[in-house]
Amino acid sequence: MEISSILLQLLGGFGKSMGIYFLTLLFSLPLGMLVALGRMSKKPLVRGPIIFYISLMRGTPLMLQLIFVYYMPYALFGWTLSPGWRFYAVIIAFVINYAAYFAEIFRSGIQSVPTGQYEAADVLGYSRRQTFMGIILPQVIKRILPSVTNEIITLVKDTSLAFAIAYVEMFTIAKQIVARESNLVALIVAGLFYYVFNYAVAAVMNRFEKKLSYYKI
Amino acid sequence: MKKLLAAILALVMVLSLAACGEDAETQTDTQDAGQTTEAQEAEKVTFTVGFDAECPPFGFMDGEGGYTGFDLELAEAACSIYGWELVKTPIDWDAKDVELNGGAIDCIWNGFTINGRENDYEWSIPYCDNSQVIVAKASAGITTLADLAGKTVGVQAASAALDVLQDPEGRKDIADTFAALQEFPNYNNAFLDLEAGVIDAVAMDIGVANYQIATREGEYVIVEEALSSEQYGVGFKLGNTELRDKINDALKQLTEDGTVAALAEKYEITDMIILK
Repeated sequence: MEISSILLQLLGGFGKSMGIYFLTLLFSLPLGMLVALGRMSKKPLVRGPIIFYISLMRGTPLMLQLIFVYYMPYALFGWTLSPGWRFYAVIIAFVINYAAYFAEIFRSGIQSVPTGQYEAADVLGYSRRQTFMGIILPQVIKRILPSVTNEIITLVKDTSLAFAIAYVEMFTIAKQIVARESNLVALIVAGLFYYVFNYAVAAVMNRFEKKLSYYKI
Repeated sequence: MKKLLAAILALVMVLSLAACGEDAETQTDTQDAGQTTEAQEAEKVTFTVGFDAECPPFGFMDGEGGYTGFDLELAEAACSIYGWELVKTPIDWDAKDVELNGGAIDCIWNGFTINGRENDYEWSIPYCDNSQVIVAKASAGITTLADLAGKTVGVQAASAALDVLQDPEGRKDIADTFAALQEFPNYNNAFLDLEAGVIDAVAMDIGVANYQIATREGEYVIVEEALSSEQYGVGFKLGNTELRDKINDALKQLTEDGTVAALAEKYEITDMIILK
C-alpha cells in the first residue's frame, strides 16, 4: 500500500474533521457568550437551569453525549433516523458541550474586570450596553485568549470522538485503513495531521495574543 | 504573518473541497437521494446497507477510499437487478440494532451470523457457512480448545464468537476455563494485543481469521476444533419481510448466473459459500 494513497484517503477525512471543527467554533463561541451572560443573571430562574446545564456538560464524557444526541430521537420518541442526522448529531453534541466550557471561560474573563470600571463608566454617562461592548469586552477578549487557545486545541483532537457514532472523519478512516492494512501506519499519519494543524492553530493564536498586548511596554 | 494566515485558510478550503469530492464518490448525497425518491414517488430507490468497515474480506475500505468486500459487492449486484442505488453506511457494530430499528439502515449485511439471533431479525436465506474459531500464535503451542485453560482470550464486542462463549448452551464451558475473556472494539486491536503477547488467542469468524492471517506478518494458527458452526445471512428489521423476500429472490438469481461464485473466488472464500 502506497503511503501517498493513505495520505489522500486521510486528507478526505481531514476535511470532514475540519468541518466539525469550524462549525463547532462558529456556533459554540456565540452560544457560549449567551450562556455566560445567563450564568451571571440575577434571576434564579435563568441562572439555575444554566448552572445545571454547564455541570451536566462538564460532568459527563463527550463521547457519551455524542451517542446520546445521536440515538435520542429514536430512543425517546421512536422517530426514524435519517441518513443526514449522523452529521447534525455530531455538530449539536460538540456545540452544546463546547459552549458550556467557553461560557465558563467568558465568565471568568468578565468577572475579572473590577467593579470600579463599571462605576466610572456610569459616572461618564455610558449606557450598560456601551460599557459592555466598548470597555469590558475588549479587556475580556485579551484576558481569556490563552484559555480559549487551550480549548480550541483540545477541540481539534476531540473531533476524533465522532468515530463513536461511526461518523466518517479522519480518525474513523484511519482505523478502517488500519483494519485493511493490518498495520499502524495510518494512525501515525493521522497523528501527524492533528499535530501539524494544532501547530498552526497555536501559531495563529499566539499572533493574536501579541497583537492584543498593546498596553505592554 | 498575513500570508501565513491566508495560506492556512486556502489549505482549509482545498481540504473541504477534497472532502466534498470524496463524499460524492463513496456515499450517496442525502439531498440527491431525497430528490430522486420524490421524483419516483413511493418507489424505493435507495438500499442502505449497514456494515462494519473494519471487517475484511466482507466489508472494508479499499485502496481508493471507497468501501468494498464480498458482502458489499453482492449487495451491489442485488441492487443492480432492481435498479436500486446502494448506499454503504459504515456503522459501529455495537450499535447495529439501534441503527437498524431507528431506520438509519435498511439491513445489516456484513458477515452477519444467524445462529443465536434467529428471532431478532428477518433473515434472508443463509449464503455463507461460517465457523467460530480460535487463532493463536504458532509458537504458543495451542492446538486444541483444552489448551486454552488458564489463557487470556480476545473477542470482538457484540460478536457471534462472544455469544457462543457466553451462552450456557454454547461453549461457555470452554470460556469458563479461560483466565479472562477480553472484549475488543475490533479484530485489529485484538490482533495487536495478540502480537504483543497481552492475550494468548483470539476467537473470531473463520473468514476474517483467514484474511487476518494472510495479511499479517508473523505465524498464526487456527485451532482445528471449531467453537461452533454457523451461517451468515442478511438481517432485516423484524416485520420487513417485503424487502427480505426481494433480496432472497436476488440472491437466488445471482447464484444461478454465477455472480456469487465469481465473487467468492475473488475474495478467496469459495469453501464457505452455501449458495451453489
